[in-house]
Amino acid sequence: MSAMMSLLRTLVGIPLSLSICAFAADAQETVKTVCAACHGVDGNSTDPRYPKLAGMDQEYLMRQLKAFAAGKRREETMSAIVAGIDPNDFSKLAGYYGKMKPTPGKVNDPGLAAKGKLLYDDGNTESGVPSCAGCHQPDGQGNARFPRLAGQHQAYVLKQLADYKSGRRATDPLMTTVGKRLTVDEASALAEYIAGL
Amino acid sequence: MVIRAFSALLIAALGCSLAMAEPQWNKPYPELTEALRLKGDRARGEDAFVICQGCHRVGALGRADGSYPRLAGQHASVLIKQIADVRSGRRSNPKMLPFADHQAISVQEIADIAAYLTTLPVPPDNGRGRGNELGRGERLYVMDCASCHGPRGEGDPQRYYPRVSGQHYRYLVREGILIRDGARKNANPDMVKAIRQYSDEDVAAVSDYISRLPVDLPR
Repeated sequence: MSAMMSLLRTLVGIPLSLSICAFAADAQETVKTVCAACHGVDGNSTDPRYPKLAGMDQEYLMRQLKAFAAGKRREETMSAIVAGIDPNDFSKLAGYYGKMKPTPGKVNDPGLAAKGKLLYDDGNTESGVPSCAGCHQPDGQGNARFPRLAGQHQAYVLKQLADYKSGRRATDPLMTTVGKRLTVDEASALAEYIAGL
Repeated sequence: MVIRAFSALLIAALGCSLAMAEPQWNKPYPELTEALRLKGDRARGEDAFVICQGCHRVGALGRADGSYPRLAGQHASVLIKQIADVRSGRRSNPKMLPFADHQAISVQEIADIAAYLTTLPVPPDNGRGRGNELGRGERLYVMDCASCHGPRGEGDPQRYYPRVSGQHYRYLVREGILIRDGARKNANPDMVKAIRQYSDEDVAAVSDYISRLPVDLPR
């Protein structure tokens, strides 16, 4: 009887585990069960600690997933989550979020944003901070090489600039340089301006 | 006796020439040779230049405040040499170094960027000086500069002499003073010698004159 039950369990279990595999291979399902809790189903996270991914270039998003997997970008939660995702799914996940429509950000301090605009467009010639517009484009739309910034959460942008500065994020040596050259006040102004792009 | 005197003379002459030997500002080194040998591609250069334009601006027009030079229309050989010199430490430029080093651009991209920049138009809107010492500037230019940089400031790509026409006045002043004072390590010693006696006012006057040279190169 007990052997019978065990066999039954196994037989029932086979299709169940097969269907889990099929679900895992489906990027949309991974989005719902894994990514959406922080990044939202439409890629417009509401928690400012987590980046909006909507509208970001697929290649850029894929590079970031690989960087997390390789440890070149470190974030306790995200690194652990990426470790649980099949690398073959990276491209689909990136493509999914890349196609979503980004929502605008919210500027809380227009005066600060105005200072940020000067820096974003012109850089700081004294300290050698290049203008952000040079790579990320004047409207912050970005491309495959340089990420979209427009409308991104202030808190997330600030954290990234700080992580570049500290070396915690080592995905781009140029941004490491920029992070080191920016003052705290400049970073705040930039984040405020970027939110309104 | 004669032989001894002769060899003493020879040793003295040798010692003298060794002491006078200036660092070889244009001595080839592997990466420079490689970058000069590679065929640059304009389209690829335009893409690669993206990381430069945050400072040198779109169109490589630089800034009138002299913080970043105009690169548009510069000779490809000059651009290649200066980029390679910066990244190898032959020209000290801590601001630019991270954007020119091996993590940022490849040797091929140096050639590509140069091929792109050299074709860019040079509008006559570069920063100029006050215009109050142009006679003095012209005299100095004709006497000390024109033989290398050309009567119209066109430079000489074969000898790595930059074109100076169309350049921003403030950048010319800054680099002129650095070169005069021996602070630009990859400067041609002939130029250091030529302007060694210049006062700051002389540098300003000749830079002002240069900044007003016609921007179209003689063909």
